[in-house]
Amino acid sequence: MVDFCPDDTPQLQAWRGEVRAFLEEALPNGMRFDYDYDEDEERWAEYLAFWRKVGAKGWVALTWPKAYYGQDRSAIEKWILQEEFAAHDVPMYPVIGTAVSAAVLRHGTHEQRLRHLKGIAEVTVLWGEGYTEPGAGSDLASLTTRAHRDGDFWVLNGQKTLGTAAHHCQWMNVLARTDPDSKRHNGVSCFMVPLDTPGISMTPLHNMGGGRQNHTFFDNVRVPADCLLGDEGQAWSQIWFGQGGERLDNALPGPEPFSFRVQALMDDLLEYCRTTKRGGVPLSQDPVIRLQLAELMTGVELVKLQTFELFSNIKSRTRQADISQLYLKEFWPRQAQIAMEIVGPMAQVAGGRWARLEGRFQHFFLSSFGNHAGGTSQLKRMTFATRGLGLPR
Amino acid sequence: MAIDLTFNEQQRMIQETARSVFERMSSPAAVRRYETDAEEFPRELWRQMAELGWLGMTFPEAYDGLDCPITDQFALYEEIGRALAPTPHLETVALAGELVLRLGSEDQKRRLLPAIAAGETVLTCALMEPDGLYGPAGVALLAEKAGDGFSLTGEKVLVPYARSADLIVCPARTAGAAGAEDGVSLFLVDPKAAGVKLEPMPTMTGQRLSAVRLDGVRVARPDALGPIGGAWPALDDVIARAGVLLSALVAGAGERVLEISVGYAKDRVQFGEPIGKYQAVQYLCSDVAIHARNTRLLALQAAWRIESGTSFHREAALAKASASKAAAAMTYAAQEVHAGIGFMLDYDLQLYTRRAKHWEYSLGDQRHHLERVMAESEAHPRTGVAFFHG
Repeated sequence: MVDFCPDDTPQLQAWRGEVRAFLEEALPNGMRFDYDYDEDEERWAEYLAFWRKVGAKGWVALTWPKAYYGQDRSAIEKWILQEEFAAHDVPMYPVIGTAVSAAVLRHGTHEQRLRHLKGIAEVTVLWGEGYTEPGAGSDLASLTTRAHRDGDFWVLNGQKTLGTAAHHCQWMNVLARTDPDSKRHNGVSCFMVPLDTPGISMTPLHNMGGGRQNHTFFDNVRVPADCLLGDEGQAWSQIWFGQGGERLDNALPGPEPFSFRVQALMDDLLEYCRTTKRGGVPLSQDPVIRLQLAELMTGVELVKLQTFELFSNIKSRTRQADISQLYLKEFWPRQAQIAMEIVGPMAQVAGGRWARLEGRFQHFFLSSFGNHAGGTSQLKRMTFATRGLGLPR
Repeated sequence: MAIDLTFNEQQRMIQETARSVFERMSSPAAVRRYETDAEEFPRELWRQMAELGWLGMTFPEAYDGLDCPITDQFALYEEIGRALAPTPHLETVALAGELVLRLGSEDQKRRLLPAIAAGETVLTCALMEPDGLYGPAGVALLAEKAGDGFSLTGEKVLVPYARSADLIVCPARTAGAAGAEDGVSLFLVDPKAAGVKLEPMPTMTGQRLSAVRLDGVRVARPDALGPIGGAWPALDDVIARAGVLLSALVAGAGERVLEISVGYAKDRVQFGEPIGKYQAVQYLCSDVAIHARNTRLLALQAAWRIESGTSFHREAALAKASASKAAAAMTYAAQEVHAGIGFMLDYDLQLYTRRAKHWEYSLGDQRHHLERVMAESEAHPRTGVAFFHG
């Protein structure tokens, strides 16, 4: 039954109001900006303090089962929460690693869930992602970090890279090859590794968006046997494939945070064009800019509708190949590029009295090159062509 | 959450029935034949569509309709597009029929709607003039008061199925400056009336299109459709609504173009491997899929908004802008996948590629609809979360 109306019952409206009221109260003044990669120490402390308040409300674990620190709330309630967070420009930087909770909930033992989920829920323990390697990016299955069993321990050796904010984290979710004779997807296991274990070192990588990512080195790192998450050798199907293929973010489908960010940037751009004159005429009256704006609005609308479709497919249990990820990955930098073109030369100014909207457009533009996180758009195209359309691999 | 993008039982039934009817009665051979046949479309198919209730699908029961929502029609249009079914459904039912329903006198409705539903009469709409403008600016043909009625003079072009039509709905200007919404009136013109001259227009598309020359054609007052000088708002609504169905048609055609392209990319071997293994070809195929899916999503949303009685012009414009762009982009990518064989008239892809150009322009091109998107957004700004829930 075709229906595009998010179900705004009085209960859900009240929930939205509750989230909104919390954000008005809990967000520090001026934190209304897309600081996804900001690495300023003072700001980081503010973000963390804010996220601990979210954790204290139980909202990080909103949809988890009650038995594991969750509130057992519905997917739509989480959706509404995410919408409001995006509309208020909440920085997501400190909670990038919370996605591990989905894998812990699905494949962790009872003890592992009790041990790890509380810290994630309360944002007292931060997790980094240990997937990408220098030689294994889009082709993650070629990873070479290895782990071998030594009594009650696993010993890890290898290198991970591009770990966003990993230097702020206490734990890392690491994919390593446990079967030395295995090839590709087989024989890969997932480990939960405390980052203060001897043998781990990090070196920084600074990105264009203003944030720090990291190389993480594992040199004979010994972790207890109960650090293995899921079955030995099964990480590809249990952990990684699940994240890419089904979006197991907190074990329930949710929209990509950036699907709201492209909307927020669109709002800013429209408002800017309406209120800014060039040669005495508002930018929004320029016939070429009008077409560009409308084309961008079409893209933003599609990002929304593809999220709706994803939600509808999961609800109706239809398995339709997902184009939403690749579309967003392609649209985001294109939107950034066209926004810069419309705003003109002053768009490159990052701060000071000359900056347009506090430098928002140039920041969005720089951040847009982070669109490859979770797999490049080219990879998503190839996956869609083979798995979705059935073309030969 | 009430978000649900799947068809209900009835819509799935329409989809299945339409697919099998068109497979039988609108084969590629039939599609080719009716590009040039003396008959502009197969009457047998038209009768079959009438029997299945598809010609009066969205009309009220009082006029022999089935009172179905537009989303049911959406399911039918995807199949029309997939099969390229040669049928004046868009012109007779979605355009003329809807205009009669909204603007017609009780007598006009009783005379025309049951006849349309029964497949006994074919109507068309003459929406385009030689200067190629869309919107109220495209209505320049003059209707002057003459006795009790009006006298129409001017030329309409690219009118689909005009030579099969029993009546032509003809927008004309009874007052107002060029481009004004005020002063647009609709007239039911009998193509056999004195002063009407029909000329088939040779186009690249395979569609049956004619020029309609009106030279002092007398139309009696009772054959005006709707208020004199005040027909634009209803015409605007009906064109937008039909544009959504045309977008569904483009999405359906796109799904078929995708099947043809993927099938070929799997079978065609070059350099010892199926060409579908090459990423350049995979990109082209995924382009077809993305354009088709995006157009379908935008069109389905617009259809839902029409069905639920909320404002729909922004969403309808988004859909048709996307459909116009997709029509060109999908067929381009498919031609690239096929290379030499796709250039051959024996191969079916060309049927889609040539018609795509007609769909691109029909009921407003991409630029026209993008400008409308912008204008609607200015008139009714919606931001952030409100956008998701608007």
